[in-house]
Amino acid sequence: MKKGDENMKKIVVVLVLLMMLISITSTTLADEEAGEDDQQDQVDETQDQEEVVEQETQEEIKVMNTSLGAEIRLLQLKKALLKNILKGEMAAEVLKGLEFDKSGLEEILGRMMDLLKDINETNASSNDSVQKFVEFKKEAINLTKEFRETVRSLLDEEQLNELRERIRQMVCEQVEGLDKYIRNRIRQFNRNQLYRLYGLIGEANNSFIEEYLNGNITLGMVKLQLCKMINQMNRERRYEIFSELKEENIKKKINAEAFIDQMHGKGKGKGK
Amino acid sequence: MNKKIVSIVFLLIVMVSITITYVYFNQKEADEKKYDDSGKTVNDQDLANEIDDMFIEEDDEIEIGEIV
Repeated sequence: MKKGDENMKKIVVVLVLLMMLISITSTTLADEEAGEDDQQDQVDETQDQEEVVEQETQEEIKVMNTSLGAEIRLLQLKKALLKNILKGEMAAEVLKGLEFDKSGLEEILGRMMDLLKDINETNASSNDSVQKFVEFKKEAINLTKEFRETVRSLLDEEQLNELRERIRQMVCEQVEGLDKYIRNRIRQFNRNQLYRLYGLIGEANNSFIEEYLNGNITLGMVKLQLCKMINQMNRERRYEIFSELKEENIKKKINAEAFIDQMHGKGKGKGK
Repeated sequence: MNKKIVSIVFLLIVMVSITITYVYFNQKEADEKKYDDSGKTVNDQDLANEIDDMFIEEDDEIEIGEIV
């Protein structure tokens, strides 16, 4: 009877051990899977972000087939980078006040300043202005990310929100002049486009263009007037203008796509 | 053996349904994007979209991300 009891105990112990082993193994496996899922999610998120940036860049370089369009894109990039440099400098000062080591941040800011200098020195009329724009934009995104991650590793969420609030207003005032200049150049670009469109339509409204250039009427109103003009034409003429516009826009889109593909090819080549 | 056959049939059904759904929705989207070429008529929205593509919005900005 005692022997039977002992055997029974042994069997129970073995069973309990087996159950423990199985549960530990499955927990480990589940953790590993969860870890892999998290890593995969992060990779997917990064890829998604890269795709979004690429699509935006493709849209942006569509207008860079003219030197004015290229100049506008370079100025816009300069403005975005300048805003981040100014914000970064303020953030570094705030961190200094809180007795944090800001040497890492200053090093990144130094690289951002070098990039700003490169953008300023780029000739918008040169053949490689599009390529430079794409490279500079990528570098600006990477440097911004590097700075952001460094600051986030030093401060908690509450301190970060406080910092964001402190630097928001001040920077807007400092880039106001550049912002006005860019708006002016965009109006000139749009004026050129208006002349091209009026050329297609066969009649020009010069006073309307002047009003737009002076800022008395908005781009939305200009577009509306254009649509009205074209809608008043007969069906064949409308179709003709539409086809010409479509063809031109498709050409720009194809060129932008080809350029991005070409740059990808180049990047892959370098990587190898 | 029976279970294997049932699983394979079930998988086949799932795959065929996914393919049909995918083709159906893609076809629908492609049809929506077409404009009437045969009668040479132009949709107002299509025309407005082409005009939009010619210009740069004055408040247009380049996104490089927030620094903080």
